This record gives sequence, structure tokens and C-alpha cells, in this order.
Amino acid sequence: MIEILFYILSTITLGSATLTVLSKNPIHSALWLVVSFFSLAGHYILLNSQFLGMVHIMVYSGAIMILMLFTIMLMNLNISHEVSKPFFTKLVATVAFCLVGILMLTIVMRGNQAYNIEYSSTGEDFQSVSVLGKVLLNEYVMPFEMVAVLLLLAMIGAVLISKKDKTEKEA
Amino acid sequence: MNTLIAIGVLAVLVLIAEIINLRKLVIPMTIVGLLGILGYTVCHIDVEVSYYNNMFITKKFSNAFTSLFIALTIFLVALSKDFYQTQFSKIADYISLKLFLLMGAICMVCFGNMAMFFLGLEILSITLYILCGSDRTNIKSNEAAMKYFLLGSFASGIVLFGIALVYGATSSFDIAEIITITSQGTLPIWYSLGVVMIIVGMLFKIAAVPFHFWAPDVYQGAPTLTTAMMSTLVKVAAVATLYKLSFHLLRQMPEGYTTAIVVITILTMSVGNIIALRQDDMKRLLAYSGISHAGFMMMALTALSTSASNLFYYAAAYAVAGIGAFTVVLAVTKGKDNQLIQQFSGLGKRSPIMALVLSVSLLSMGGIPIFAGFFGKFFLFSQAVDNGFITLVIFGVINSFISIYYYLKVIVTMYTQNEVTEETQITVPLSYKVVGIAAVLINIIIGLCPSILLGLFK
Repeated sequence: MIEILFYILSTITLGSATLTVLSKNPIHSALWLVVSFFSLAGHYILLNSQFLGMVHIMVYSGAIMILMLFTIMLMNLNISHEVSKPFFTKLVATVAFCLVGILMLTIVMRGNQAYNIEYSSTGEDFQSVSVLGKVLLNEYVMPFEMVAVLLLLAMIGAVLISKKDKTEKEA
Repeated sequence: MNTLIAIGVLAVLVLIAEIINLRKLVIPMTIVGLLGILGYTVCHIDVEVSYYNNMFITKKFSNAFTSLFIALTIFLVALSKDFYQTQFSKIADYISLKLFLLMGAICMVCFGNMAMFFLGLEILSITLYILCGSDRTNIKSNEAAMKYFLLGSFASGIVLFGIALVYGATSSFDIAEIITITSQGTLPIWYSLGVVMIIVGMLFKIAAVPFHFWAPDVYQGAPTLTTAMMSTLVKVAAVATLYKLSFHLLRQMPEGYTTAIVVITILTMSVGNIIALRQDDMKRLLAYSGISHAGFMMMALTALSTSASNLFYYAAAYAVAGIGAFTVVLAVTKGKDNQLIQQFSGLGKRSPIMALVLSVSLLSMGGIPIFAGFFGKFFLFSQAVDNGFITLVIFGVINSFISIYYYLKVIVTMYTQNEVTEETQITVPLSYKVVGIAAVLINIIIGLCPSILLGLFK
């Protein structure tokens, strides 16, 4: 059952990643990337990393994609603006990509050293959200609050920089 | 811990004051609040407690530096009213950002866990990026913010990588636990690698020499009050953190490490001073002099176990002198788009008080006796001699002489050229005068009785 799910998810991931690269329209690329990110989150959940999966959806599929879409729209990257690159550049890019691919494949094939990492078993499932929440709000409560301060000041800063000057009105 | 919470509450109160339209109250309220917090911290300077599973540890060292940071913030907030006159509607944002920055600085000297250290560092840096770019219609301010942001993020990244490597070697973020583990068995090589990466990141933050290239441009481009903050509060906080990190983490380091630190110290002092000789912009001059002062403060790293009080004294003397000097720079260059040294010509006639404040501050930075800067240098030098770092001290003395040359250049300009025309007349706001005179008084008082500060550590 899990194996079938894994294969379905992998197909979606690889397919949408390929489409991201191949689409002509940058907006379509970005949307395919969202699909790819969602299926990656599925992989995390399959590996029992619920928290990581949720964070992946929130941060990558949500925030980062919005950022990328904004950039694409603000810079007005359309198909018409795309400069077609010379043949030589394409050739060099292909060769470079193939070499890197071969290098990585060789490394993976040769990697036959087995690592035995012994985790001490505490009987608790640290991947689950509830355990993580308890750790975060007991042991790490102070860093948690400081992160809140950090986010607050980043927000104030964004408002400060973008706020309209009232000086012209008052003067 | 109560100090930190109180500052956080104060920052939120400032924001609430903006909501209910009490902007006029913001600065008086902040100053009174910070004075109260300063009193509380000084009264509890001997309390050594750890809070929240060793996340936050107060010791004499961290309490003393916390008090210094709060005192500096009081000065900087007092200068804010006149500096932000033209954008008074944003005053609450600026003040609350300064208070958050103070919280970051306090976390950096009181951390008991690497997570707290990194968060403190990030709170401090991100606030500074914002403040650097806050003058958004000025292209120089944008440039400063961009440069500082890009390079600073890299430095933070390096620090974070270092923390990860240290965690990999010791499997703990907790400082006390790291100390126990490092003092027991041998550690994998990446422990020292991680420590070096953390130290390198901090050297970037204090602008030590191979990593100093951002400092002059950022100091020049940022709004002057932010520059004042960077060269006093932030520099002192970074040096104190570097000292604390070195104190806790430097075990099982390779033998060449001390040599490397000595070389960097000498380079930092010399390069900063020699380039400062050629500057004609006051803010750049102070930036380079700040680089060389970072070098002087790094001397404390050669005698980690005993130099905490000397470092604190030097940091206090340097920061107070910096506040004095920048107060005058703020007053003189108000409404002008550059800070050339020529603008200070004839200041002795135009505003004798400000000229006096600037002279005392610069002489103190140069190390002329009875001012605090002299004793700061004296203590650090004698400590280094005791520990056998003669070369370091020789370079330090030579650099003190060089620095007096360019400080005197500014003072001579102020007192010799007497061209008082209509347009060079300046009006100095009351708050600048108060802050300047207070800085000079503190400078002389701690110069005359160094035991006030040194005694805190006994």
C-alpha cells in the first residue's frame, strides 16, 4: 500500500519537476513547482515527519512560491521577453549538466559504506507534532519567544520602510 | 531575565503609545523606563542565576555588559527626538526597534545555549539592516543597507554552520554541557572547525581586519544616529560576545590559534589606523578608528581568564567617547548630505560646548591621560605584557601614536580656522548638549576612578 503511494507520489514529483523545467511560460513553471512541492510534502509525511511535511507546505508551497510569483510578475518576465540563447551556450550547458550527473551517479554507485547510527530510544516519537510542541514549549520556550520577537521586529521594520511619509502633509 | 522581559514590555508599550496617539510621550517614557531598568540591573549585578533550562544565564560579566548596553541605549534614545524631527510620525517604530536591538544585544551576552546566542545575533543584525536602510529616499542609505544585509547574512550563515558543526561534535547546544564534553575526551576535528567558523562570523560583526570591508561604506551611508549605534552599542556587544564565546568554546584548539588571533589583532589595529589617516569624511574616519579600536579590544582575547574587567572598562570608555563624538557629528552635520571634516572648521567659535565635547571624546579615544581611553589602553597593554605578548603591545603603542595624529587633525581644524559666516551658524538642540556633556562627564569620572567599573568584577 505504502509502496504504491510512494510510486504515485514519485511520479507526480518527477513529472511536475520536469514540466517546471520544460514550460515556456514562467508562471506555468512556478505553478508546476507548487505541485512538485506538495508531492514532496507527501513524501515527508510518508516518512512519518508530519511536522516537516506541514512546514514544507506552509513555507515552500505557500510563502516561497508567492515570493517567486511576485518576482516573476514584478519583473514582467513573459515569453516575449525571453532572449533565445546562442547554440554554443546551450551545448555547454548540456555538457556541464551531463558531467555533473555522471559525477553524482558515480558517487552514489560507489557509496557502499554502511553507517550504523545508534539512536538512543526514549520510547517517544519525536517526529510527531505533539511531542515536538511539548519540547518547544518546555525546554525551548525562551528561544521560541525570542523568535516571536524577531518576527515582530521584522514586521515593524517592513512597515517602517514602506510607510508613507507624512512630512509633506504636515509641513 | 527580568531586565529582558522589562525591555520587551517597554518596547510593546511604545508601540501601544503610537496606537493611542501619544507619540510625544514615547521618548520620555522610554528614557524613564530604561533608567529604572538600569537601576534594577545594577542593583542585581551580583545575582548569578540560570533561567529556563540554562537558556539564559546571568553572571557578573553579562550583568555588567547589560548595564552598559542599557546606558548606551538611553543616550541613543535621548538623541532620537531631534534626529527624527522630520519624520516624527515614525518615532514609535524607531524607538521600539532600538529597544528590540537592545534585547538582542542582551541575549548575546547572557546566552547559555547556542540557540539563544544565534537568535540574539539575528535580532541585533536584522534590526540594524532595517535601521541602515530607514532613510529610504537616500541612495547612500540604500547602498549601506544592501551591502550590510548581504555580507551580514553570509556572516550569520557561517556562524550557523559553525554552531551546527559544534553540535555535531558534542551533540549539545548547551554551553555548560559543551564545556563538560570538551574538557573530557578528544573531539573530532570538526569541533575546532566549527569554533573557528563561529569566531570568524563574530570577527565579521566586529569588523576585524580581513573582514572589515563593509564597515566604512555602511557607516558612511547609514543615517548618522544608526552609525552612532553601530559604532558604540553594536560594536561593544559583538566584542563582548566574541570574548564570551572564546572563553567558553576554546578548548582543544590547534596551537596556531593564538598566533592567528594575535596576527589578526595587529592587522586590525594597524590597517584601521593607517587608512584612517587619509580620510576626509568624519563618519569614515570614525569607522576606521572603530576598526582599530576593535583591534585593541581583541587584545583581551589573549588573556581570556583574567581580562573580563579590563575589556569591560575599555568597552565602556570607547563607547562613551563614541557617543560624545557622534553627538557632535549629529549636531554639526544636521541637514547636510555629507560629513566632511571641513564642516567642523571654526566649531570652537561657533559652538564652544560641542567643540569641547568632540575634543574630549577624540582625545579619550586616542588615549590621552585622565580621560578613560588612556586607562583602558593601559590596563589592556599591561595585561598583555604580563602574558608575554610583547610584540602585540609594541604594535598597540605605535598605533596609539598614529591615531592621535588624525584625531588631532580634527581638533586642530575645529580651533584654528575661524570663518564664522551666516550659513555656518549652528543651533544645537538641548538634548544634544545634555547627552554630549553627560558623555564627557562620565568619561572623566571613570577616567579618574577606574575602580568604579573594575570593582564590579571583584
